[in-house]
Amino acid sequence: MSSVTLLLVNERTEIQRLGEMAERFGADQRLSDEEVMSINLVLDEVVTNIIDYGFEDTARHEIRVTMGVEGRTLSIEIEDDARAFDPLAAPPPDLTLPLEERPVGGLGIHIVRTVMDHVEYQRRDGHNILTMRKTIGRP
Amino acid sequence: MDIFQSTSDSGILTLTLSGRLDADTTAKFSEVLGGCIDRGDRRITLDLGALDYVSSVGLRALIVGQKRLATLGGKIVLCAVRPQILKLLEIAGFTSIFPVAATREDAAELLR
Repeated sequence: MSSVTLLLVNERTEIQRLGEMAERFGADQRLSDEEVMSINLVLDEVVTNIIDYGFEDTARHEIRVTMGVEGRTLSIEIEDDARAFDPLAAPPPDLTLPLEERPVGGLGIHIVRTVMDHVEYQRRDGHNILTMRKTIGRP
Repeated sequence: MDIFQSTSDSGILTLTLSGRLDADTTAKFSEVLGGCIDRGDRRITLDLGALDYVSSVGLRALIVGQKRLATLGGKIVLCAVRPQILKLLEIAGFTSIFPVAATREDAAELLR
């Protein structure tokens, strides 16, 4: 399995580094443009959420992002020491609502769950661990 | 992200977005779109032909704009959307609340 790990701090400017990581990883693994965009979206949505809402103090926190490919399975793990938050607890948005009743938020985790095949949340030793998998190389 | 504005003879505003519409850049887009609505633009085409990436923060700004225009009798039509961005719009359920046109001319038809 080839994998990469990136350590980030809880600052918004880190999102750009994440994007660069996704692009580089995608090029190394010869992923399709669509797969690279999926990775970009997943990393962006999850990490932006952690940075914006996860911490009650103003201290510097570390967010660990690991991505790997084994066979045709892409895996992504994101670990942080933010307050306990299970993104999977939110109900899926109702996308049939007319414009005037449509909520403006809540789409981030819905996108993550849709573009990945499997998403799992654990709280362990004061850390949130989000583990995701996706089959790649589909025709 | 870059935003280019133009207005047609028939009064349709076109905003051409390029680059990324994400947590970093969306505030700029919201400011431009909000300013156009403030000054009276109601029929707006967003040309996304050069847009590489949209996150949920960008999607939020789009829906906020569409909701505001709806209360004013206006509308945003999207055009020239790249396949990957279109797929994301479908995942987000946006294709039922944003008309999507192939070209600016088609978008203008939808804004008549």
